[in-house]
Amino acid sequence: MKRPITAALAVIGYVIMIVPIIFVVATAFTAGSTLRFPPDGISLRWFDEALGYEPFIEAAISSLQLAMLATVLALLVGVPATLAVHRGKLPGKGLVEGLFLSPLIVPELVVGLALFQQLMIGMDLGNFSTLLVGHTALMLPYAVRVTGASLALADPGLEEAARGLGASPLRAFFTVTLPVLRPGIFSAGLLSVVTSFNNVPLSLLLQGRDFRTLPVTMLDYVQQSYDPMVAAASTLILAATVVIAVIAERTVGFAKIFGGINQ
Amino acid sequence: MTAAAELIGVTQRFGSFTAVDEIGLAIAPGKLTTLLGPSGCGKTTTLRMIAGYSAPTSGTIRIDGIDSTRTPPEKRDLGMVFQSYALFPHMTVADNVGYGLKLRKVPSAERRSRVMETLELVGLAHLADRKPKKLSGGQQQRVALARAIAIRPRLLLLDEPLSNLDARLRVQMRAEIRRIQAETQLTVILVTHDQDEALEMSDEMVIMNEGRIVQQGSPQQVFPRPADRFVAEFLGYENFLTAADGTPLTIRPEHLRVVENGHKQGHGLDAMVVDVAFRGVDLLVSLDVVDPSGATVRLLADVRSGATLTPGSSVTVIAPDDRLVSLPR
Ligand SMILES: Nc1ncnc2c1ncn2[C@@H]1O[C@H](COP(=O)(O)OP(=O)(O)OP(=O)(O)O)[C@@H](O)[C@H]1O
Ligand SMILES: [Mg+2]
Repeated sequence: MKRPITAALAVIGYVIMIVPIIFVVATAFTAGSTLRFPPDGISLRWFDEALGYEPFIEAAISSLQLAMLATVLALLVGVPATLAVHRGKLPGKGLVEGLFLSPLIVPELVVGLALFQQLMIGMDLGNFSTLLVGHTALMLPYAVRVTGASLALADPGLEEAARGLGASPLRAFFTVTLPVLRPGIFSAGLLSVVTSFNNVPLSLLLQGRDFRTLPVTMLDYVQQSYDPMVAAASTLILAATVVIAVIAERTVGFAKIFGGINQ
Repeated sequence: MTAAAELIGVTQRFGSFTAVDEIGLAIAPGKLTTLLGPSGCGKTTTLRMIAGYSAPTSGTIRIDGIDSTRTPPEKRDLGMVFQSYALFPHMTVADNVGYGLKLRKVPSAERRSRVMETLELVGLAHLADRKPKKLSGGQQQRVALARAIAIRPRLLLLDEPLSNLDARLRVQMRAEIRRIQAETQLTVILVTHDQDEALEMSDEMVIMNEGRIVQQGSPQQVFPRPADRFVAEFLGYENFLTAADGTPLTIRPEHLRVVENGHKQGHGLDAMVVDVAFRGVDLLVSLDVVDPSGATVRLLADVRSGATLTPGSSVTVIAPDDRLVSLPR
């Protein structure tokens, strides 16, 4: 090992992240009825319970709807904006990029509170609409980063080559530029769905009686009853998240999504 | 005969910087013309204006006699090979090569056969179904070439097509491009900063410096008669001296002869050996030479190994008249 300290830190990091997850996953498979480690026997009964628990299923569908809509909106706004900033000769490129990336820096509770005041109280918007606005803003950095990174890596000569071979600017964009960006956009979309689905702070702040996301519903549930069903639900979410993350990693690689946008 | 491309007073400015300055140039059809010059002299800028990627600040560009100054690239029917190749990464080799034909609505059966024909011409038919990423640099270069010639362009434009290849492949591809040019009878404009490449490949060479054309002609015309000191230096004339009447002269190191003192013949020049570098078959000798105007100049002579020259010894340098080139003052 070339850098022992870095390696040691990495190992500690993994342990800190993974041990609690192992605990949750293990208790989800318990045959008993309390959240205890080590579990009393092994069964799938709590998975059955979780999948049959109406409020969780409803909330999961809501969460998924919110996550997908927010992702589509974020891509629809973020991708063209990034293209315009990178390709056009617009002034203030850094400013626009900064604006789109700012949700990464501003604490979510602040964003949530601002949206609560302005949209729900001020404009009397329903909590789904407000949540959608909030999540869209939160997902924008993914769209912007990944499009920017893919564009920076794509050879600007590609579009010119297509033009030279007889393609109109529009044709060149759709047959060359967009297909080259597609894997990046696709995996940004996946990660953005996962992030929105798992989001707690914003969803917690903007929850309402008529619309609740799954994490918020689970949080409520835990406050009342402390049984392994929540662990089972968490395990299911974890499994889905891992699958999606692996797909995203296979298509472009995290380095490109989380890496800088200004290479 | 109409020129395949003609540039008339073409200027390109970027802000206050003039990258190409009032260039006038006629490209002969069916010939290979090279644009040769040092980095930053405006070769790519010129090529991009011919291709239509940027409009000149002023001047006219005619293609096949038709004013095309403002015609967008997709309407020019030119084939361009970029220095980076710019192959479409999401398409196979065959789809890359067929892209221009598809846009021209060539039916798919004919397209397939023309793609294969073109790939055979560049020797890559067996890789038709690969993605560009899985090809070597040399193979990618050939795909780029095939993609450009598949559309049977009116002009083939190559921007330093060989600069990303290793030395051996580069030399091999020079002959390859010449062969393809001869077989297809295409008019080719090739940009390079390598004088050997230009000398070996060109029918006509155009030498540029600081946005202007400084000399133009066949390699046989240009090489022995550089028009000025810049061209001379660029072509490897390392020695500059002055005639008795003040005319600047130049001569190549391999044309200087070094003889021991006492063997004075004709108008030998007194000289002293400064340094001797052994280079295998030959020796590169630095000399302080008293030139015909009386000034002492440092010259380089390329002489056969075996000569016994030691630093500090006095010798005579002979610069044959027919090898001396006079330059403008
Ligand atoms: N878009 C641009 N904006 C500003 N300056 C430019 C632009 N394109 C080229 N230049 C400048 O114009 C000059 C000529 O550039 P060009 O690319 O034509 O040189 P070149 O002869 O192709 O050089 P090289 O051999 O390095 O490729 C350079 O000084 C370059 O910096
Ligand atoms: Mg160039």
